[in-house]
Amino acid sequence: MTNNKRLALAAAALLGAGMFAPAPLAAHHAVSAEFNADKIITLKGVVSKVDWVNPHIFVYFDVKDDSGKVTTWRLQSLPPLFFKGSGLTKEKLMDGSEATITAYPAKDGTDDFGFLLKLSYPDGHFYNLGGGTAPAPGPTK
Amino acid sequence: MKISLAIHAGIAGLGLAAMSAVPGNAFGQAANYGQAPNYGPPATSYALEAARYPDAASKPTPHLADGQPDLNGVWHHFFGGLVAKVGDNSFELNFGQHIPTAKAGGPPPPRAKPDPAPEYKAQFAAKVKALDANQVKEDRTLHCMPPGVPRMGPPQEIVQTAKQVVFLYADLTGNHWRVIPVNGQHSTDPELEATYNGDSVAHWDGDTLVVDVTHLTDDTWLGDNGLYHSSKLHVTERLRRVGDTIQYSMTADDPVVLAKPWTITRTLTLQPDLLTEAAPCVDNDAGHYVNSEHHDNAR
Repeated sequence: MTNNKRLALAAAALLGAGMFAPAPLAAHHAVSAEFNADKIITLKGVVSKVDWVNPHIFVYFDVKDDSGKVTTWRLQSLPPLFFKGSGLTKEKLMDGSEATITAYPAKDGTDDFGFLLKLSYPDGHFYNLGGGTAPAPGPTK
Repeated sequence: MKISLAIHAGIAGLGLAAMSAVPGNAFGQAANYGQAPNYGPPATSYALEAARYPDAASKPTPHLADGQPDLNGVWHHFFGGLVAKVGDNSFELNFGQHIPTAKAGGPPPPRAKPDPAPEYKAQFAAKVKALDANQVKEDRTLHCMPPGVPRMGPPQEIVQTAKQVVFLYADLTGNHWRVIPVNGQHSTDPELEATYNGDSVAHWDGDTLVVDVTHLTDDTWLGDNGLYHSSKLHVTERLRRVGDTIQYSMTADDPVVLAKPWTITRTLTLQPDLLTEAAPCVDNDAGHYVNSEHHDNAR
């Protein structure tokens, strides 16, 4: 899948917010106004915090480098209502397991800020929040 | 990317996801909404709710002890559940999963008629266009400010007594409410400040509840896509219960910017669900926009 198609899926995610929502929920910026869908980053770490807020949840992801220094990435994801009744909860996202994630980085150059696509766990289970075919993980940063 | 490209990319994404993620489900049907953007949100979500209860309008119309039609109930909500479980413990974004009537083999999802667009005086059309083009910065609801009346839409839940009706809204921008006295009078306080939801009073015109709204701030818009208004905006809402539906209309009269009053109508269908409190709205994005790319928010 090309990056453009992947961007389309992410855009579709936010388009959907308006599609089945009360009127004022429709307005939304595009993922492309904030994130670079031509670049996918891969990180290994642990979800340390989740902000369950509108207009989209934020997932905080702790990445440890070789020296042991921890960097916390702030990752935008989907609107909270998307998760309603799904079983994928804040508690589940924060179960402490080590995960490999993919994300789009911020366009404005902000460090450690991105749009979350997929969390993958060593036992094979995953949370694909970007939709469509999951991007293949690259080398971790 | 231009606006139109953005929305088409979104539609392509929906279709693509359908084929790759969940073969055989009704994703493609859902995507068709987007192929006719005027049939898209928000009117379609009301049509989906109506489809859950097809004979709602033919039910008896209940009345309260004071003899007035009973408007109590949840009339609009969010279906949610666009993230779906796959396998034992995995989840993925799946637009088709929880769309009522859009299951494989079911009838196609309903379509709603497009709303008419408000007609602006010619000299103000350029301002609407400019606000629309720059809505990522100009649309305050993107930054968690309340949409206000009338953009907030029909009430999602109504709590009614003989003396007042309370309209409740669980919105992306947070939770909002309006307390509307029945047979009350507008404030005569000359210093009353304009607000997002304005000063509302209601009265019964036969079996129709008429809500009259003044003192609306010009910080809000009539709708998405730059539809601004002046502080002279006057809104009239009419609600008539027919069986287990409410025929709702909203007329926005702004003699400063509109060439003529703008009216939209909705059929609200009584829903079995509880209205769920919206998560708080936190503007984490404001500092990170690098351009004005956004979705086309068809109304």
